[in-house]
Amino acid sequence: MLRKEVTENEGEKVIQGNEACAEAAIHAGCRFFAGYPITPSTEIIEYMSEAIFKNDGMFIQMEDEISAMCAIIGARWGGKKSMTATSGPGFTLMQEALGYGVVSETPVVVVNVQRGGPATGQPTFSSQQDIYQAKYGSHGDYEIICLTPSSVQEMYDFTIKAFNLSEQYRTPVILLADEIIGHMRERVSIPDSVEIEEKEAIEKCDEPFRRDKNHVPYAVDFFKGCNILVEGQLHDEKGRRIGHLADKSGQFIQNITRKITDNCAELTDIRHMYIEDAEILLIAYGSVVRSAERAVKTAREKGIKAGLIKINIIWPFPEKEIFRLAGHIKTVIVPEMNMGKYCREIERCLKQSKVISAPKLGGNIHQPSELAEIIEKEAALSYE
Amino acid sequence: MRKDIRIAGAGGQGVILTSVLLANAYGIKEHFNVSQTQSYGPEARGGACKAEVVVSDSYIDYMKVEKADIFIAFNQLGYEKYKNETKNNGIILINSSLVKTDPDNNGLVYELPATEIAETKFKPFTVNIIMLGGLTKLLPKLQYHSTREAIKAGFKDSAAEINLAAFDEGYRYIEHYYFKQLQKNCS
Repeated sequence: MLRKEVTENEGEKVIQGNEACAEAAIHAGCRFFAGYPITPSTEIIEYMSEAIFKNDGMFIQMEDEISAMCAIIGARWGGKKSMTATSGPGFTLMQEALGYGVVSETPVVVVNVQRGGPATGQPTFSSQQDIYQAKYGSHGDYEIICLTPSSVQEMYDFTIKAFNLSEQYRTPVILLADEIIGHMRERVSIPDSVEIEEKEAIEKCDEPFRRDKNHVPYAVDFFKGCNILVEGQLHDEKGRRIGHLADKSGQFIQNITRKITDNCAELTDIRHMYIEDAEILLIAYGSVVRSAERAVKTAREKGIKAGLIKINIIWPFPEKEIFRLAGHIKTVIVPEMNMGKYCREIERCLKQSKVISAPKLGGNIHQPSELAEIIEKEAALSYE
Repeated sequence: MRKDIRIAGAGGQGVILTSVLLANAYGIKEHFNVSQTQSYGPEARGGACKAEVVVSDSYIDYMKVEKADIFIAFNQLGYEKYKNETKNNGIILINSSLVKTDPDNNGLVYELPATEIAETKFKPFTVNIIMLGGLTKLLPKLQYHSTREAIKAGFKDSAAEINLAAFDEGYRYIEHYYFKQLQKNCS
């Protein structure tokens, strides 16, 4: 159920992506934040450390990211919407507890403002190298919801959306930004009210993990006298441990994955431009979208029929929609600020197309002219 | 209208702050779309530092700058690094106390001895605001008062006072040496 929440400080302002994210979290009802500061996500923590106390919330600077992730899971079961923010090295430390969040079906938001890796890597430069870690980082079979903003406005909007999706599907949601979006300042319009997902807690507590037809469990309020066991071992609808029962354990894994994969259509968020008559298509997500947009416009000016698909939710992979939009297109280019990761998913989905990876390493975003060059080269090849 | 502005200098000279004030002036006071990006500050202190502001009355796709319409160089290193990344009909504003330009510049060069003015009339840390003053005079669709308001909002009382005075000095310098001269030559 969506509830309208009035925001403070509405209007237009010029703020950083990280600030927009933190402000959105407050507007979305986040009242507990635990984290450990790390470039390039520090501004989120800085902002939250002040803003959350003004809103009767709690902020804790933890000793590391392992405890930060654990703290927000605990706080959510204590009844507060919770968030943490980090970057690559911290995100790595969070993986164990992230899996715990998935299994305990805890709605929390984890922000990863990506920097160059591996290890300490490039603290002040951007990358999109963590997209597989966001999906596969923790052990075991699970599915995750992951959003990739490409502007400061989207950093605000997607943070609200991340909270709503986490409540709706009772699972951790990852907001996968990058250094460019986090540190960029743009004009943002803050709406006078935002829609917040609020699930009503069930009254009868004998089956706290009972699922609806979408495999999503109901919300539980700890303080309504529910006897409930929340822990890392697989559980049945009553919250009892089922790790030793093969059938039930298999069913549980089906449930926590299918609550996301079966609702993939609802979790598909794709924008596109110039695709009606496109012969060459760019598929991008995150900050790279902005370069791709310009490159496509440049190509169009030169008479090349180029188009663009922008993916807002990269996980679950919007396979059906991408196939519907691009299944007939001969050449698809996937620019990414990594060695070429998402292009493999695209390849798997668009078997008829020639899928070209356009990786960019080192921390800088693709320049539009680089992408335009690739488009022109491919256009020349296809006319031969 | 889209204008790509690039500011280069040494970390600590106030390059990023200048770009933030500029983005605020355009974005809040003049209601333009803006994108401000930077080479990240703390790590770059003392080394080369760069900030970029894109201003547009329509949607901004690419948020960084490829070839700049307006290039501002705070020091020689910054100038050397990006002088060729300016459009042929672009504008180059240099801190002429520290920068010597080549004769084969891409754009039209404006000289503003900001370090000298800062050290003789104000405090050394006002260099960037003096440059911002000159820049405001040169930029299209940016009112004198818009940048002043951005500075007022960006500093506390005493700091605002000295910075506003420094801003005026930079603004008047460019106005006097280029625009007034131009008027004289034309009449």
